[in-house]
Amino acid sequence: MTQLAGFAGPVRNSGLAPPSDAPRPERTGMAQAVLSEIAARLALFAQTGAVAALELTAMPLTRADRAELADAVGHGEVEARIESAGRTEVFETAYSGVWWVRHFGEGDRIAAESVEIGEVPAILRSHRADIAAAARRLAEFCTRERDEDEGETP
Amino acid sequence: MSIEAPRAARPQTRPETLGEMLAARGVSRRAFLKYASYVGALLALPAETIPAFAEGLATARRQSVIWLSFQECTGCTESLTRSFSPTLENLIFDFISLDYHHTLQAASGEAAEDARKAAMAANKGKYIVVVDGSVSTRDGGLYSTIAGVANIDMLHETAKDALAVIAVGACAAFGGIPKARPNPTGAAAIDQLVTDRPVVNIPGCPPIPEAMAGALSYIVSFGKLPELDHLRRPKAFFGETIHDRCYRRPFYERGLFAEGFDDEGARKGYCLYKVGCKGPVTYNSCATLKWNGGVSFPIQSGHGCLGCSEPDFWDQGGFYRPLSTTLGDLGPALAGAALAGVALGAGAAYASRRHQAAYLKEPPLPAKTAASGGDRP
Repeated sequence: MTQLAGFAGPVRNSGLAPPSDAPRPERTGMAQAVLSEIAARLALFAQTGAVAALELTAMPLTRADRAELADAVGHGEVEARIESAGRTEVFETAYSGVWWVRHFGEGDRIAAESVEIGEVPAILRSHRADIAAAARRLAEFCTRERDEDEGETP
Repeated sequence: MSIEAPRAARPQTRPETLGEMLAARGVSRRAFLKYASYVGALLALPAETIPAFAEGLATARRQSVIWLSFQECTGCTESLTRSFSPTLENLIFDFISLDYHHTLQAASGEAAEDARKAAMAANKGKYIVVVDGSVSTRDGGLYSTIAGVANIDMLHETAKDALAVIAVGACAAFGGIPKARPNPTGAAAIDQLVTDRPVVNIPGCPPIPEAMAGALSYIVSFGKLPELDHLRRPKAFFGETIHDRCYRRPFYERGLFAEGFDDEGARKGYCLYKVGCKGPVTYNSCATLKWNGGVSFPIQSGHGCLGCSEPDFWDQGGFYRPLSTTLGDLGPALAGAALAGVALGAGAAYASRRHQAAYLKEPPLPAKTAASGGDRP
């Protein structure tokens, strides 16, 4: 293994940061493609009420593409933060009905990211099962309070 | 959301869905939707299917899992269970009931084995068997036993009534290090022995935790296996090579290589092909999902890929020898491609397929050691 003669020496390349002369991630045109799809889905939603979702996590978007897409859709009036199995951030873009949803996982890493087209993104809605459970819980609480109050009267 | 030590399973008296069970602990359906978004992205499911995925999880029963550890090092368990905080990623432990795992369970001796048998009886035909480690088949399998039972017998007994078997790690999926030459114990892969139940392979040394959790969640929610490749690996995680998605690939394309681990090329972060990187023939998601919560992966830390998610990775001629010297007659073609700095894609894909085909053609196990012939499909 003569080619590895240097292997005995200290390994100085940590490789932790992207190499300095690595080709810079550039705009690939993906942002435009995604934007066109968002526009088409939004037009459809405006006409028919058909909601849609575009999964961004697995798309081969470079950092530049992501920035381009974010710049294009902008930031609108609504912003929400959800604490459920970690943090989730939601905001409406400058285009009504186009929502950006970002789920965070371990170490504040983005675990999933999507664009949803609809009146309200699904994660903001209360689920019927949760509402039913909450109704039971609140009713039990009221009953207990009443019973306790009655118990205190002489 | 912590991992509870497996307890002796008892028949469920009050059937509960995961949604009801977690609601009682204050976990809302939003957590299911969020988890489905996360795993759905990993599995490349269309975004429209996410609500159905979440609903499937919430209305499923808690999945009984029996984890069998055979000729292994416990690295696969470490990979799946090491998480830093209760977060999205380890919600999986709320979705499964780990009824037997001899490293994690509190019970020992007879009580431990009783837990396995009780879980099998209570969930006949519905439990999932996860296996890490290969199985000794030589001399009746006596080289690896648990509670006096040979691994091969315990595997057959446990897999018989399973919904599916998930072979995690290089050893369970392909025989791994125990099967490396000269294979003194006659180590065999799980799918060589279990031929009448569905088997999913999640290879790697260790496998990526998201791949294990993703496959399990998919089965729990949809009640079927995810799409697999010809080596029974979920395509979502093993559909592309490390090289395909490597951030150093642009250097490869330009013919810029590290020649040693401390030369100018290594310092500049050039392609590690010439110092033995097996990325071009290794199908796995390390380059995109990375490790330790997305911190890094071997190539990003300056070391070539070992090819641990491919069959017989230990016997491929040396971790530090370039692929061009370990692939026999294909070598010069690949080396030429590399030197010229052109894509080796087709050549590497051919080499990889040839290697995988050779693995699949291995002679079947003797009938007396295999459940039903032991031949590969």
